[in-house]
Amino acid sequence: ANENTSDAGVSNAQSTEVHKWKLVTSWPKNFPGLGSAPERFADYVNEMSAGRLQVTVYGAGELVPGFEVFNAVSSGSAQMGHSGAYYWKGKIPAAPIFSAIPFGMNVTEMNAWLHYGGGMKLWQELYQPFGVVPFAGGSTGVQMAGWFKKEINTLNDLQGLKMRIPGLGGEVLKKVGGLPLTLTGGEIFTSLQTGAIDATEWVGPYNDQTFGLHKVAEYYYTSGWHEPGTLLEFIVNEKALKGLPKDLQKIVEVATRAINQDMLDEYTSENHKAMTQLVDEHSVKLRTLPDDVISALKTATNEVIAEKRAENAAFDKIYAEYDDFYQGVRQYHAKSERAYYLNR
Amino acid sequence: MYLCHNVRTSVVLVFIFYMLLFKNVIVYINRTLGVFVSYATMIMAVLMFSVVLLRYGFNLGWIGLQESITYLHAAVFLLGAAFTFQHDGHVRVDVFYRRFSVRKRAIVDFFGALLFMLPVSIYLFVVCYGYVVESWQLLEGSREPGGLPFVYILKSFLLIFAGSMALQAITELLNQGNKIFDKQLVSS
Amino acid sequence: MEWLSLLLFFAVCGALLLGYPVALTLAGVSLMFAGIGALFGVFDTSYLLTIPSRLFGIISNTTLIAVPLFVLMGVILERAKIAEDLLTSMSAVLGRYRTGLGVSVILVGMLLAASTGIVGATVVTMGLMSLPTMLKRGYSPSLAAGTICATGTLGQIIPPSIALVLLGDVLSSAYQKAQLDMGIFSPDSVSVGDLFVGALMPGLLLVVMYLLYLWAVSRFSPDQVPKEGQSNEHTSIWPLLGALIPPLVLIVCVLGSILLGYATPTEAASVGAVGALILAAIKKTLTLSTFKYVTTETTKVTSMVFLILIGASLFSLVFRGFGGEDLLKSIFTSLPGGLFTAMLLVMFVIFLLGFILDFIEITFVVVPIVAPILIVMGADPIWLGIMIAVNLQTSFLTPPFGFALFYLRGVASDIVKTEQIYKGVIPFIIIQLILLIIIAIVPSIVTWLPNIVYG
Ligand code: NA
Ligand code: NA
Repeated sequence: ANENTSDAGVSNAQSTEVHKWKLVTSWPKNFPGLGSAPERFADYVNEMSAGRLQVTVYGAGELVPGFEVFNAVSSGSAQMGHSGAYYWKGKIPAAPIFSAIPFGMNVTEMNAWLHYGGGMKLWQELYQPFGVVPFAGGSTGVQMAGWFKKEINTLNDLQGLKMRIPGLGGEVLKKVGGLPLTLTGGEIFTSLQTGAIDATEWVGPYNDQTFGLHKVAEYYYTSGWHEPGTLLEFIVNEKALKGLPKDLQKIVEVATRAINQDMLDEYTSENHKAMTQLVDEHSVKLRTLPDDVISALKTATNEVIAEKRAENAAFDKIYAEYDDFYQGVRQYHAKSERAYYLNR
Repeated sequence: MYLCHNVRTSVVLVFIFYMLLFKNVIVYINRTLGVFVSYATMIMAVLMFSVVLLRYGFNLGWIGLQESITYLHAAVFLLGAAFTFQHDGHVRVDVFYRRFSVRKRAIVDFFGALLFMLPVSIYLFVVCYGYVVESWQLLEGSREPGGLPFVYILKSFLLIFAGSMALQAITELLNQGNKIFDKQLVSS
Repeated sequence: MEWLSLLLFFAVCGALLLGYPVALTLAGVSLMFAGIGALFGVFDTSYLLTIPSRLFGIISNTTLIAVPLFVLMGVILERAKIAEDLLTSMSAVLGRYRTGLGVSVILVGMLLAASTGIVGATVVTMGLMSLPTMLKRGYSPSLAAGTICATGTLGQIIPPSIALVLLGDVLSSAYQKAQLDMGIFSPDSVSVGDLFVGALMPGLLLVVMYLLYLWAVSRFSPDQVPKEGQSNEHTSIWPLLGALIPPLVLIVCVLGSILLGYATPTEAASVGAVGALILAAIKKTLTLSTFKYVTTETTKVTSMVFLILIGASLFSLVFRGFGGEDLLKSIFTSLPGGLFTAMLLVMFVIFLLGFILDFIEITFVVVPIVAPILIVMGADPIWLGIMIAVNLQTSFLTPPFGFALFYLRGVASDIVKTEQIYKGVIPFIIIQLILLIIIAIVPSIVTWLPNIVYG
């Protein structure tokens, strides 16, 4: 009925329609790793759809503040978002399970649980009332425990320690006597420099070096007990997604899957180089947390999780399935991955 | 003819009476809000100072205490906005305005209220409504460990802000319309 | 339809001249444009749905809590005549100069700027404290207003500064990206701390230039300053010290608590407010009516500042919705070759944008686009950051959207006309531009201190 029918292989006029999407993120524009993932996603989608789905990426604060990404996608003011599920804790208490649980699953295990262990279905159910569809959106891998101005030798050194650490990790730190704070990226450096905080966690060597945290704190602790394989998320407005032709919907899904792997590859490739630089060139003192501190943190984690399960039915249900999968996969990984790491 | 005029006059008078009553109620509400949040500024300073003292004196800290300061802060500038308007505390570029006659100023303020203040307030109210209602339905809490579980109340300030500004805009229309009208009477 | 964003600019500028409150004019005209644009299908109304999130972002920005606290401190100091005494004493100490009070305003303002870091709070505080006194002493209204506005903008460049924090945040990503573009895969970093250290010398240099300007005025245009010095007012130094020490202790507490790491700027603001309260109580000027006046004033000034922020947020949103951002992008990406030309053009455009946008929008919209390009061309990131910061400082002084002007207008009594404020800031805008040229020619003013501190 119109000029579009002349396109080879296109059966209806609608499918040449151009869709323009806004993608809001919780990261500064172009921020290495976290911020480059949504940019790459936009490129992939644009190319794969031959320009029929054009995605514009907005950094934190450009269209909406970083912590408002979920609301923006839910209300439809942006069709898509890239962020981390633990930021929606106040709204959806169970959401942090889909980004990081202290001493929980690593990234390989998380991805397995989501895509083959039933986790994704639970995640979709959790966001369904908000008209939001989640996809795994990449991972930083194991993060670092953070930057400290003084050494942590005993549990006592955590008493009154003012540390920037958001999410469940913060609640765990609070249980063992610390003072957790959530600061946005831009506030961290000065707060640590001026001593308003004594310690901070951020991401890992690749991002931490960008922030120059080695200039204001001497001790770098490994590893990230609180964020063992932090998963990020792509979230899509359900109506916007369903409003796309089937092929574009598939393109969105597959592109998120590609980025999910791509981000981890970038971090794996860059983290070790940055770590070498930090230790060799900037004389950062790399430390591990003492055993008694780790075991106290583990006990506190169990208490925090028990409290969360008692408080919230969705948390209880999802964590039960998470833990079920975790207990199984860690048995096997103890015999495979861990055994191999010890051998090589 | 005389009777008809008289009825019309009394209808107008009754209307004016109710509008004045309505106007006075709005003025009273917004002034009360303003006085209420004024004390909040002092409480904010004392609470924040306590946060510093507790941290350095006793190594104590509560996120909830810090968040309560954010709540007070939001109350001050959102709930105090209409009150500030009553006192003409919002800045103008008054290069020309200050040279205008009383009537000309009234015209600017009348059309400002009609075309800017009222539509903006109504738009803000409408667009924030769903946002706030959802927060109430979830009884949204803080994302911070130990934070206050009253984010829905904090967000409600947005609606009170938009609502009080809309009401203030209506009293502005009445006030400034009256001034324009008065001036006409005087000059004719 | 990108030209509509420019039309929006001009419409807002025109509407502002009518004299309706700035915040509501910004918001109202923008909303009208959005509505008309939507009717004709050239504006995506989903942009308007982001406003609740943006407002909540303003609410939950803890840094901004410093505003009411510093305003409270300023109003108390003003009401208790403490700051006036400080200014008087300092100008008495500097009494052998005819511009003693002006110098004191700049120095006290510098201390305030250093401790608050917030342009609005500094202008409001200094405006409340010193404008009436300066006029009483015989300064020309435009010189007094210009000095106060310009001094207020020092908070932008003298650390700790919120503008530098935002800028540092954006620049570190831009620097990283630039290095990746250049094929450097183990990039060096630039941080907020680097910018703080880098800004120190230019900030102090600017203070010196303000002082030189005052001296020049007294020399070449003597009717703008008082006829005589006031060295004969005080014969003994002890009363002066008595007046000087309490407020100085207060300012040192505020500054010191930040610099020594006892408090964030917001917390330090509460130290300032409570300290001012204590000083007022000691001076026995703290009555119930003072208390009421102080809290009401603080509420009004705070609401005024934040309503402008809210209006500006709606304006920048609609501007973006009409593709204004794309328009800016296309201007900046078609830059001609050579760092000098590119830098000149960027600085010129940022200066022009400063007339209509505020520093937050420029920092978030323009810097991420131009900074990577300029760094790849060879610009030092810290130097670039300070150049942008000094340039953005002028945006606070340039009409019609000069926030320092609004703030002073908001607290100035009727004896100062808006035109006098505009006229008064022009020399200071020129001084800031001269500083910009000096930094451009001698970049080591910025870079030598970071090099010493961080090796
Ligand atoms: Na400052
Ligand atoms: Na300006």
